[in-house]
Amino acid sequence: MVKAYRPNTLTEALEILSTEKCTIMAGGTDLMVQRARGSAVLPGFDRPLMFVGHLKELQKIYQDEEGIHIGAAAILTDMMEHELIPGIFKEMIGQMASPPTRNMATIAGNICNASPAGDTLPYLYAVNAQIVLQSTDQKRIIATRDFIISPKKTCIKPDEILVKIIIPAKEYSNNYYRKLGQRKGMSLTKVSLLGMADVVDGNILDLHIALGSVAASIVHSPKIEKSMISKKAGEIKEMAEEIVKQYADLIRPIDDARSTAIYRKKASLRLIKDFMENISQE
Amino acid sequence: MKESISTSVLRVDSRKKIRGEAEYISDWKFENMLYAKTVRSTKAKAKITAIKLPDIPKDYYVVDRNDVPGVNRMRTVVSDHPIFAEEDVQYIGQPILLVVGPDREIIYKIVSQIEIKYQEEEALFTLEEAEKRSTVFTDYNYKKSDPKKAFEQAVRIIEDEYSTGYQEHVYLEPQGIAAEYKDDTLFVYGSMQCPFYVKNALLETMALPEEKIRVVQTVTGGAFGGKEEFPSLNGCHVAVATHKTRQPVVMIYDRDEDILCSTKRHPSITRFKAGLDEYDQIIALDIDVLLNAGAYNGLSPVVLQRAIFSATNVYNIEHLNVRGRNFMTNLVPSGAYRGFGAPQTIFGIEMMFQDIALILGIDPLEYKMRHLLKQNDPTCTGGSIHEEVKMKEIVQKAVEQSDYYNKLKTNKKYQGIGISLFLHGCGFTGKGETLIKGKIILQKNKDVVILKVSSVEMGQGAETVLPKIVAHTLDIPIEKVIYETVDTGLIPDSGPTVASRTTMIVGGLLRECALEMKARWDEAETFEVSKIYKHPDFLHWDDDTFHGDAYPVHSWGANVAEVEIDPITYELTIKKITAVFDVGVPIDERALIGQMQGGIVQGIGWATIEVMKTANGKLIQKNLTDYKIPTSMDVPGIDCDFVLNPYEFGPFGAKCAGELSFVGSPPAVAAAVENALGKPIKDIPITPEMLMEIDNDH
Amino acid sequence: MIIEFTLNNEKVKMDVEPTMRVLDLLRNDLGMSSVKEGCGEGECGACVILVDGRAMNSCMLPAGAIVNRSIVTLEGFKHTEQFKVIEAGLLKAGSVQCGFCTPGFVMAIESLLNQNPDPTDEEIKEGLSGNLCRCTGYNMIIKGVRLAIEKGAGLW
Repeated sequence: MVKAYRPNTLTEALEILSTEKCTIMAGGTDLMVQRARGSAVLPGFDRPLMFVGHLKELQKIYQDEEGIHIGAAAILTDMMEHELIPGIFKEMIGQMASPPTRNMATIAGNICNASPAGDTLPYLYAVNAQIVLQSTDQKRIIATRDFIISPKKTCIKPDEILVKIIIPAKEYSNNYYRKLGQRKGMSLTKVSLLGMADVVDGNILDLHIALGSVAASIVHSPKIEKSMISKKAGEIKEMAEEIVKQYADLIRPIDDARSTAIYRKKASLRLIKDFMENISQE
Repeated sequence: MKESISTSVLRVDSRKKIRGEAEYISDWKFENMLYAKTVRSTKAKAKITAIKLPDIPKDYYVVDRNDVPGVNRMRTVVSDHPIFAEEDVQYIGQPILLVVGPDREIIYKIVSQIEIKYQEEEALFTLEEAEKRSTVFTDYNYKKSDPKKAFEQAVRIIEDEYSTGYQEHVYLEPQGIAAEYKDDTLFVYGSMQCPFYVKNALLETMALPEEKIRVVQTVTGGAFGGKEEFPSLNGCHVAVATHKTRQPVVMIYDRDEDILCSTKRHPSITRFKAGLDEYDQIIALDIDVLLNAGAYNGLSPVVLQRAIFSATNVYNIEHLNVRGRNFMTNLVPSGAYRGFGAPQTIFGIEMMFQDIALILGIDPLEYKMRHLLKQNDPTCTGGSIHEEVKMKEIVQKAVEQSDYYNKLKTNKKYQGIGISLFLHGCGFTGKGETLIKGKIILQKNKDVVILKVSSVEMGQGAETVLPKIVAHTLDIPIEKVIYETVDTGLIPDSGPTVASRTTMIVGGLLRECALEMKARWDEAETFEVSKIYKHPDFLHWDDDTFHGDAYPVHSWGANVAEVEIDPITYELTIKKITAVFDVGVPIDERALIGQMQGGIVQGIGWATIEVMKTANGKLIQKNLTDYKIPTSMDVPGIDCDFVLNPYEFGPFGAKCAGELSFVGSPPAVAAAVENALGKPIKDIPITPEMLMEIDNDH
Repeated sequence: MIIEFTLNNEKVKMDVEPTMRVLDLLRNDLGMSSVKEGCGEGECGACVILVDGRAMNSCMLPAGAIVNRSIVTLEGFKHTEQFKVIEAGLLKAGSVQCGFCTPGFVMAIESLLNQNPDPTDEEIKEGLSGNLCRCTGYNMIIKGVRLAIEKGAGLW
């Protein structure tokens, strides 16, 4: 039977964390299942628990000159319904889990679970979202790609809380998202591809590609993206072969209960090619 | 005018279910009840060398084979599964002992402290390995005419092989069972299809006289065969536990435990060798069926029988050599699942017909129609098709309603349409019904009529359909027909709720009783009419030679599936299913359509997304996160229609329906995928992973 | 942990293990047996309840997270006008077979219509995609929802 805290404010929460290591629980949709032991027995938590999902400071979604701030405990449904959240990000969130689960799950939970199948991550990597961590004495702002170290591991310190995520207030002219699951409803991702680009008058001004579930972390290469930026959309088609080859080196999937490494690899490369073909027609 | 029997009525049980008031076994409370948790083998094949128990606190118990008062074997067709493991274990998940007590936290703690030492032995898992090592449980063979000679005369021989995978039932209510003593009578309550199977198992395991055992079925949240033989095992577990503790014992499985240890559909391989004459007609078939039975026999022999008796499906093949083998492997025992072996072989032969037609350059449907059985034709086992065969009408409806030929012509690559033809033998296989001799009682009690049968409501609608048959016959409101609690102490054994036999066999007996009751209605305030099932005289069956009428009658159908494949990812979308069935006469059209649609979707699941594999004896897909069944977003629109074909011996002309619904969608979907890709499909489930590999020239 | 919340519009105050699943709390301590356990991992939807009007999987919800929130189970919801309309739709369409998934579906339907009173068939399918049914193949459940929407226009 673990101790549990239910702080009334963020400050109170941070004070507790400054003296005691806790497991932080927001929506619970990952933690409660990972720690479940069976019906009518308590889940197995080894540290004191801290509930933060109710903290108003962590639920806000707002915009300022830095970008769009998404409170860590914003639930997925609220993000889908919020006018500030970019359309493609909403579409991605809409394909996560199921409506009841989206009514509970938070964005910070999806990030802190640090799974390569985390469905918000391709977007956060692609737009270089900033993670804001807070402790009693300092605030750290870290890019998502630096925050997640390896599957299931982040660089959050025991006295910190992930308080919000900052994303650019930006919509792209071309958006492409494909999530492949075992079925159409409620599936964990076996491959996902997010492609976004700004194409103006046939010129590629900006472009991002990020893939989920096909390597130990999200596959996102600013270097490869750069080689496509400022090209003519029409040129992209000829580059496709070469670009796909470069991504092939980064895509290192595994066999598991949901798919095979070989399918994941082939499907990812085909999706990249498809995205590039879409762009080239602009 | 009186309404037709097919006109739908409100389901008797739906209101309490919608209101959340139906009490499933997990909702039951007993005074001083104890919970039980099973400790299971973690090895696929091993000798148990030691079991080290921690100190067991007061009020907690460990229950194992030494506590079994009678025989430590689960009684079924082949009684080989130990109630609790003895010297050895044969599969991962095999029950070894129970920990029983009042507080589940403490039970879990005790379980975590139990140490079992094993001496592992070499295990085997796949059909291929099992065939190589000849670990055969059952080897059946039957012949028709002279296959040897026919193959010699054939101008062309085509061979092929098809395989199907596991399927988990995923009844939404996991297995649950409870036991208690009232005075010195043992009561077992639970989610089950066959209360008398459980009772018969208890008779042997508990060594109690017949009158000291009562088995009571509780509201059952789906079964599909998964609660046919399995509750005999967990029923004995709680019975032994309550015998030891003298307190009520409840055991509800969590989903992962249910998936780990409950029976599944047999994985299969079916090999065909077809001999063709100079007109391309198949004159001879050699069929070899292999089922993966898992570690114990259980019901597998009878599953195999249905598999091989259904192997020629709706086709009349003159010369046959059919072999069927159940193989022992160190996997969880396979068992009953909707269709009972027939979906495996019917998938095979439907694909074989399609593939041969494509090789020959003949339209697959036309090729199938050329071989169709008709009335009075011999069945594969040398019996006779006694009923009128309305397949032409069925197929015509399905073709017209789906616009089959037009779509076949105009579909582009990655769009496909496919059709399957199929049948299901109604009721038990072979001598089954004559062995069971189902008995029912109808009791008049002033203005109400009490119906006493052992058929259970498990979602399929028995609680509505059976009273409806009685009410309709007696011309009384359905509310005046009371369905007696399915308690073996109160009802006769009208047989298990399996084999799509409930409406046709039990309903048929009820109709006979009701007719008699109607004739005698004014005789007395209260009286009782009882009937015992009698197989129609013209049916003959020899269980030793497998010769004769394996089934009294068949239900028939055709399914058309339309699919689309994503050319980039090979994701498969089922766009539409058109289904036409001959089930005799529908007793309640809406209830029937619901059942048919549900079966079709289960079939789609088995054929596409329901992947279940093992690695070293362990299930890879061990929970509902990994094992996926269709959601509302995965199902197509399903058009369902019926062709009337009343059966003389069924109530109001009804035949079987429940399993028939499952059989057709897998081969229809596979045929549509073949059509979409122009590549043969030999195996299900059809996954994007598989399709990408098959279409590798793209 | 002492928690307060409302259950079917009645205030509840109790001492609970904060990590206890709300599913267990409701079924075992509060007698709400309409809430079913089908998987324990948020996959099947049999345990769906309303929290502040929205569907949630009670098997993944810890007791410590429902402080000051409004919980509605079918025991309470069945007395509402919305329920009567949903019930009539499901009855008429033949949406129910074994019934084990049904309470979760009823709650998910209410949550869906709360958020979107006039959904398309595709939106109904998406809205109910967290609830598994193994008996019906869903067609008749969707039809039941459609009937409820027609009959209950203005209720949501």
